[in-house]
Amino acid sequence: MINYTLRKFKNRLFFVLCAVCVTIAVIPLLSILYEVVSRGAPQLSINFLTQKDADGGIGPAIQGTFILIGLTSVIGIPVGVLSGVYLAEFGNNKYAASIRTVNDVLTEFPSIVVGITAFGVVVLGIMGSYSPLAGAVALSFILIPIVARTTEESLKLVPNSVREAALALGVHKWRTTLSVVLPAAKGGLVTGTLLAIARIAGETAPLIMTVLGNAYFFQGFSSPMDALPLRIWRDSLQPYANLQAQGWGAALVLILIVLSLNIAVRMASRGRLRR
Amino acid sequence: MTNLKMSNKNKDTTINIEQVRPDAKMQSIALSAWFGSKQALKDINLTVKANAVTAIIGPSGCGKSTFIRCLNRMHELVPNARMSGQVLLDGKNIYGNETDPVQIRRRVGMVFQKPNPFPTMSIFDNVAAGLKLTGTKKGQNLNEIVKKSLQQATLWDEVKDDLKKPGTSISGGQQQRLCIARAIALQPEVILMDEPCSALDPVATAKIEELIVSLKHDYTVAIVTHNMQQAARVSDFTAFLYLGELVEYGDTRSMFENPKSEITEKYITGKFG
Amino acid sequence: MRDMSRLLDIGLEQLTSIVLKMGEAAEKAVRTSIAGFMGGQDVSEQVSELSEMLVTMTVTVEDKAFELIVKYQPVASDLRIINSYMKIAYDFERYGRYAWDISLTHQRFAASRKCVHNEDLMEKMVDKTLHMVRKSIEALRDNNGEMVKSLAETENEVDKIYSSYLDILAETPLAAEGGICNLLVIRYLERIADHATYVGEAIYYIATGEKIILR
Repeated sequence: MINYTLRKFKNRLFFVLCAVCVTIAVIPLLSILYEVVSRGAPQLSINFLTQKDADGGIGPAIQGTFILIGLTSVIGIPVGVLSGVYLAEFGNNKYAASIRTVNDVLTEFPSIVVGITAFGVVVLGIMGSYSPLAGAVALSFILIPIVARTTEESLKLVPNSVREAALALGVHKWRTTLSVVLPAAKGGLVTGTLLAIARIAGETAPLIMTVLGNAYFFQGFSSPMDALPLRIWRDSLQPYANLQAQGWGAALVLILIVLSLNIAVRMASRGRLRR
Repeated sequence: MTNLKMSNKNKDTTINIEQVRPDAKMQSIALSAWFGSKQALKDINLTVKANAVTAIIGPSGCGKSTFIRCLNRMHELVPNARMSGQVLLDGKNIYGNETDPVQIRRRVGMVFQKPNPFPTMSIFDNVAAGLKLTGTKKGQNLNEIVKKSLQQATLWDEVKDDLKKPGTSISGGQQQRLCIARAIALQPEVILMDEPCSALDPVATAKIEELIVSLKHDYTVAIVTHNMQQAARVSDFTAFLYLGELVEYGDTRSMFENPKSEITEKYITGKFG
Repeated sequence: MRDMSRLLDIGLEQLTSIVLKMGEAAEKAVRTSIAGFMGGQDVSEQVSELSEMLVTMTVTVEDKAFELIVKYQPVASDLRIINSYMKIAYDFERYGRYAWDISLTHQRFAASRKCVHNEDLMEKMVDKTLHMVRKSIEALRDNNGEMVKSLAETENEVDKIYSSYLDILAETPLAAEGGICNLLVIRYLERIADHATYVGEAIYYIATGEKIILR
């Protein structure tokens, strides 16, 4: 009888402990959200979102972020997906094993180092100037390993019986991968890609040395360009209160972009699970 | 007895004419197979007669699945798998140097243990998949072929109004018949079945068994089964494999009434598992 | 490859023991009826009891055999055993039936006196028949398929004795009741011998899977 009460108490205690820890873990996120929303929301207006710096807006930064996402996707997604396909479908050898190891290392690589590398290779080397392309290259270095890994994992989730069925019909291996396996892994691929994009949307360090930042809208591939993370960083270092406030606004916009990508992922996976 | 050289690459294509049986659709000659260093099949000489159902029985791990996977060159898709010996289809070695395994697989179709319709395709697309993905659909009426295949697989009446539904939305037994229709659509000459009913309930099993018996008019069928009563029900000839060796082969009635080998007798009467 | 003992084995043992008991009873019936005939006694009541028992046991054997078929879908030697045992049970029932016929015939025509017509031939006939009955039961007990050959030979001899008796009777008119009695009895003995051969053939089938006809 006493044992039972003691056990109940221990259970309760453990439960309370876990609940407290979870609350503690969530507090930073909640406080960030609170700060950003309360300070940034007042800044939001059409003017703010579309005008250039001089006119009190962060238009160039938003445009820059979208351009970077676009360029990075064009460069990084095909390379990442095809790498993932190679690793999953043809990767039963030592070469693939070493690629996988390198890939795993790259996913955790310090982004500032990625930035410096892109600076040396693209800014100093290829382009000769700060450039959106350099920024896209740097972000691709981060995107590709992530997309490759999630692609490989999604493809591996496709049961082998499906591949066997196609091969037994006399379908070539490449056609099997393209027409049978990839469509079956579509959900996982989309999820992985969206999450990778959400990740690079907020990267700052690689952008410092590659696109630098700009007060004006996109000015060509050989000029510096603005982006939200850069804008936030610049504004927060200014001594003027109104510029700092703009920084908070930019931060809110960035968070909203990342949040919507995450929600899109949620909705995409829920649709899949229900089916 | 033979003048065949055993080699991994089958450079030698000499076939002793006396060994080739005229009524055989497929025939294995000194077929051995390995997974790495483990030998799964030892020197199998087995005939699969045309327009008949041949059952391959034996305890788990005796090599039955390995054997039929050698008949459509699926065995070699496993890493570290290799084989030696020959497999003849209409008298020609399918492992010959100039032979394309993909072409062989179009002539020798396979149905697997667990029904595996393509998950992203509708019922119609599943049946047409073989034709579309192998490029053999040029100049053919897909609707006609799909209907005919589903009819032959005795599935048409049950799905004719739902052809656009996903291939995975039908029951297990229906999915298996869908896989059979998919294999038939390519008009193979031989249909291999690897325990096609193990994952199905008795009613679905009975339907598939009836289907198998009806298929032999147009195709040659080889079926691997661990259910001996099923082998007795559907097959004309039975081969008993044990520990990678062919122990006995004969017409099903004799095999089940009066087997020649004691091991066969013990296995089919259930005296050992 | 260790032999597993199966559920079917229990059933087969039961089946075997019933059939062996039938053999015993059938042999007893035949011996008793022949002793009665040769010794001039009315044994029809005893033999009738045995014969009725054999009829009931035949039904039991059939029933048991069907139960095994339904439950276990036997194949190979198991199937052959069940098939043959059903036939053998019927053959043993026939032994009993003909034994009863012999005792009834004797009762009708001679009751408590002896009416053996040609002592010499009849003794040979009786000897050989009893020998065959014995051998058929031994063949069953020992599962000896080879026995069928010697059974077939003896059956040939029985047939010869039978035809020579017919020849003798053809010469001698059937005046005395003894003639009819002897004719009927020797006919029943010949039939018992036939069935003994069938038993041998059924055992040969169990052993080899071949359906042999040596009649």
